[in-house]
Amino acid sequence: MKPPVFEYAAPHSVAEAAGLLAASDGEAKVLAGGQSLMPLLAMRLARPSLLVDLGRIPELDYVREDGGEIAIGAMTTKTSVERSALVRAKQPLFHAATQLIGHPQIRNRGTVGGSMAQADPAAEYPAAALALGATLRIARPGGERSVAAADFFLSALTTALESGEVLTEVRIPKLAPGTGWSVQEVSRRHGDFAIAGTAVTLSVEGGRIAASRIVLFGVAPAPLRVASGEAALAGQRPGPEAWGLAAEKARAAAEEPLSDAHASAEYRRHLAGVLVARALAEAATRAGGKA
Amino acid sequence: MSQTTAAGGPSAAARHIRVTVNGVAHEALVEPRTTLADFLRGDLGLGGTHLGCEHGVCGACTVLLEGRTVRGCLMLAVQADGRSLTTIEGLGREGALHPIQQAFVEEHGLQCGFCTPGFVMSVHELLELHPDPSDEEIREHLGGNLCRCTGYKAILRSVRLAARRLREARTSGTMPPERA
Amino acid sequence: MSKGIPRSIAELPTSKVRYVGERVPRIEDPMLVSGRAEFIDNAALPGMLHCAILRSPLAHARILRIDTRRTEAHPGVFAVVTGEDARATTAPLATIPDGWGVHCLAVGKVRFVGEPVAAVAATSRYVAEDALELLDVEYEPLPPLVDAFEACQPGAPLLLEDKGTNVVLHRKFTWGDVERAFREAEHSVTEKFRWNRLGANPMETFGVIAQWDPVEGTLTCRGSYQTQGYMALGVSAVLQIPAHKIRMISHPHGGSFGGKGGTRGTCIAAMLSRKAGGRPVKWIEDRMEYLIGGAGQAWDRHYEASLACKRDGTLTGLRVTLLDDLGGTPEGAGAISAAKPLTSFTGCYTIPVAEYDLTLVLTNKLPTGPYRGMGPPPHNWVLEHLVDRAARELGLDPAEIRRRNFIPKDRFPYEIPTGNEYDSGDYAAALDRVLEMSHYRRLREEQAKARAEGRLVGLGLVSTIEPGVFDWNAYAIVGVPMIGVPEGVSISIDLFGKIVAKVGFSLEGQGQYTVAAQVLADYFGVEMGDVRVVPQDSLAAPPHFGPGGSRLGVALTGALLGAAERLKVKLVRAAAHLMRCEPAALELKDGKLQIPGVPGAEMPVAQVAAVMLTRSDLLPPDLEPSPEATYVWTAPGRTPADENGRAKSYLTAANACHLVRVEIDRETGEVKIDGYWIADDCGVRLNPANVEGMIQGGVAQGVGAALLEEYAYDEQGQALTSTFMDYLIPTISDVPQPETAAIVTPSPFTPLGAKGVGEGAMHTTPAAVMCAINDALAPLGLRATETPASPQRLWKLLRTVSPNR
Repeated sequence: MKPPVFEYAAPHSVAEAAGLLAASDGEAKVLAGGQSLMPLLAMRLARPSLLVDLGRIPELDYVREDGGEIAIGAMTTKTSVERSALVRAKQPLFHAATQLIGHPQIRNRGTVGGSMAQADPAAEYPAAALALGATLRIARPGGERSVAAADFFLSALTTALESGEVLTEVRIPKLAPGTGWSVQEVSRRHGDFAIAGTAVTLSVEGGRIAASRIVLFGVAPAPLRVASGEAALAGQRPGPEAWGLAAEKARAAAEEPLSDAHASAEYRRHLAGVLVARALAEAATRAGGKA
Repeated sequence: MSQTTAAGGPSAAARHIRVTVNGVAHEALVEPRTTLADFLRGDLGLGGTHLGCEHGVCGACTVLLEGRTVRGCLMLAVQADGRSLTTIEGLGREGALHPIQQAFVEEHGLQCGFCTPGFVMSVHELLELHPDPSDEEIREHLGGNLCRCTGYKAILRSVRLAARRLREARTSGTMPPERA
Repeated sequence: MSKGIPRSIAELPTSKVRYVGERVPRIEDPMLVSGRAEFIDNAALPGMLHCAILRSPLAHARILRIDTRRTEAHPGVFAVVTGEDARATTAPLATIPDGWGVHCLAVGKVRFVGEPVAAVAATSRYVAEDALELLDVEYEPLPPLVDAFEACQPGAPLLLEDKGTNVVLHRKFTWGDVERAFREAEHSVTEKFRWNRLGANPMETFGVIAQWDPVEGTLTCRGSYQTQGYMALGVSAVLQIPAHKIRMISHPHGGSFGGKGGTRGTCIAAMLSRKAGGRPVKWIEDRMEYLIGGAGQAWDRHYEASLACKRDGTLTGLRVTLLDDLGGTPEGAGAISAAKPLTSFTGCYTIPVAEYDLTLVLTNKLPTGPYRGMGPPPHNWVLEHLVDRAARELGLDPAEIRRRNFIPKDRFPYEIPTGNEYDSGDYAAALDRVLEMSHYRRLREEQAKARAEGRLVGLGLVSTIEPGVFDWNAYAIVGVPMIGVPEGVSISIDLFGKIVAKVGFSLEGQGQYTVAAQVLADYFGVEMGDVRVVPQDSLAAPPHFGPGGSRLGVALTGALLGAAERLKVKLVRAAAHLMRCEPAALELKDGKLQIPGVPGAEMPVAQVAAVMLTRSDLLPPDLEPSPEATYVWTAPGRTPADENGRAKSYLTAANACHLVRVEIDRETGEVKIDGYWIADDCGVRLNPANVEGMIQGGVAQGVGAALLEEYAYDEQGQALTSTFMDYLIPTISDVPQPETAAIVTPSPFTPLGAKGVGEGAMHTTPAAVMCAINDALAPLGLRATETPASPQRLWKLLRTVSPNR
């Protein structure tokens, strides 16, 4: 299990990186934390002609408050996010999602941008980004653009990133006061990719559900927003009946889940319902007082 | 230019890197595809960093990069250019094991010993972060290190003992030697 | 005078036992915790090349063409071998039963995904893998056969055409009047079981450096060999080199659990070395190779079994039908795993009659091999499940039905229907200890409360035998003709009284070197640090086998003490001559040869040894001036198997009682283990810490078997578990930390009374966890009869009674 031959470049700026990618033959790949890419190289499933290592661009490593949002540089490690007091206080869902990813040794290297750009269907970060309405900032030769999470994750391992583009920042709105949240998953072992999972937010006003966001992961090629479930919850009283309704919508939304050695499509669909109901219940508790 | 390294073969562009490993500065030419683990083992002769899976699951190749645990198989040697590393060979000295190693010996925290260097490095980081860890914190931090022999019970005991010894050493100002 | 090998610790020639029986730290460990052990991938030889192996991507196909030209032309490549080389220069691999072997590189066709097709030796593993990609192989797919039942049918595609069948062996063994037992049974239970493939997965895979000497025609292989001498025989047969021309050097290895066998890797590396003009060739099996093509898959089984009993719970007969899927060939000794359950077929119970209907069949999957426990773990699960079901249907507590059927402690040695003899035991004592430790009654009360709340809480209580000290005769029913497994040790004392023990095996993890140092230090009255254990290669060591079959601790102790007794006789003769007394007047105690009761009439062992080595003029003229001795131990009293496979096979019968508590998440099917208690009796514990390590390690692998580990194949025979992301080794969060207790009934047959325990809890934990799951499911009328009990499997089962969940 040894990687195939490739060229390697370690640019010192985003512009230089974008230039290298744009000038390549289309077979170049960005190396962020490498925690997903390196196994693919060892298995020779990835065969880039050139690796563009973003690890020498210090300007991509930060977590800061910026215009009412939390801005996280693409090369920020998961460990840095996990230890960020800002993230923990202002966006606890993202903090909790971080802790579900792999193990400390993986989080020490794995980056926020890497997970978003890898877009593994079972990954926590893309789902969290979608649930929280995050925006992804992308640099390209001569400029930049921003893409909403809803438009960024297109399919399994496929994002809106075009060749020659570099993901530079993830911007996450702070959790609105009084909003409950939960992220839950079923995996075979602690730290494994999820068989199925969900990230939800919920707010309650006057004993009725005012707003909610339900996103599934592990059950579809890309993180899946259950808009029908959100609509069904609107105006309902929080409680098992409402959660059951949302669970049903979640199962329906998970039209064609992945099927593999660990879980059939049917089982994944079932878990989607179970987890949504559990997550909403937890979110409602959090919305009800203690965040 | 063509250069033979751990990867051993022809490459279009071997790279010159400088790393400090266990306190010793090294300069080397490496093929970009050479993994950090293969570089440490093959080029530097530091064989204590073991390869158990080469795809980032087993943790046997765990080393410290600037004090933080990383998987040696999930990094390229070129990514370590300019950085400081500690491997199992950097702990303890002749005739005196590091307290973590000593605790593993005393508590029978190993059997075949193949996963042990990786565990020791992870425990090293754990005890920097949590000098008096709960069992839950130990489990969380060692979840990415697989052991097929011990069933982990003796490893838990070893970590608890190592934590106590290191706390005592800190208090008495007798911290163990390390070459970072 | 010599009284023979000491049968108890008290018989050791010391007034105070300092080491044997104590939790002493292991002498192996400082080197291992420092990362200094020379695992095979840490070794390098001048001029060494690196091998990579091309493996079949198809389960069943004809090889139409292999073009190696581009590979051979690749810079850095020194040799390429294919099936054609194997056909021309090697014999087929040995199999059990004999005569079903294929070549180490596929000739003509491939029979499983992962089968070696060609191999390359190059300047680095990177380059070797580059070169593999340049090999051009054309296959013609054949219909794959992955279902064991289908493989037995007439007209099924054949793996070995000239055999005319895929059924390697079909025999029914009957011990006693089983027909009558079932005819007259007041109650009986029958169940079908599926135990899916799983396997060893030591953290270090297999590795070898083979070096062919083209001048001498000899071969030297350094490798992570569990049993170097045995491997040398297999390699000799394949490469057609006399065994004395093969030197196998076992390096310290990162675990084995039986899963490092197979001669393919060694033979392929040797062929490459020969073709490369004698340059050493290293092959390190990578983890993906191990998972899809290694020696690490075991026990792919379909059972149907019945238990007959009386209304009072007395068990009267056991019937087991096993269809064992061996995969592509019987080269991996998977067949002997099917035979080993004979050693403990009826478990801890006085079941008087039994029947075993055994079919071994080939399919297009990886050949199965040995794994810790070597076959009984699935059998134990089947038996314990049936006992639980009988109890449930008869209204008995699982503890009670077991207690009523235990072999009573005063009936040992006890012969079971299959002819094996259990040495000693007190099964009720172990059970009682577990019930007491766990507050069993309270657990049942808590369970009743949980059930009333609709929660699925279960308790699994099982008692099992761990057959220890393996002997080949256990495998007579699948065609193994041998009796006796030798373990030899040479010990010597130097000028300064320091002791060296030479053994025929390397470090593997069980702490055997420590046990050797404990025994010799107490025997000769020295410190453990005065003893050095030195592994010898296969040609230098006395006859040896090495670790395997829960045997080495006992066998090694026998060999050490046998050699020590022999050496003592020499020392006594020398000392008597020097002290001008009769040899019979001298005794060895506390490291001195002394005349009891005469103060000062003594010589330290070191002094006697020094005189022997430096002053032959002072010795009796006919005394060899050599303070060394060799002894080869085999288990005494083993018998040839009769036509029904009945034999005294394994020497010891350890016993364990496990209780585990689980809760099943009714919605997701996830199982949580939240309580675990063990009482274990493996006789005298030579190093209790080592023993506890064996038991706890077995718990971990047992939990893996029950809940996580499975080699899955699709209907095309594609391996679905090719990485550690899919083959799920238990982590520190998955393994319970049991409360444990030791029961000690010394073996009357072994040195110091110890029993084999190396496979330990692997015999018990899978059954215990599965029984607990079934106990949890019982109120719903459901039974889980397939391993591992994955969340998905349990959810499917639960859905049959509450489809809306």
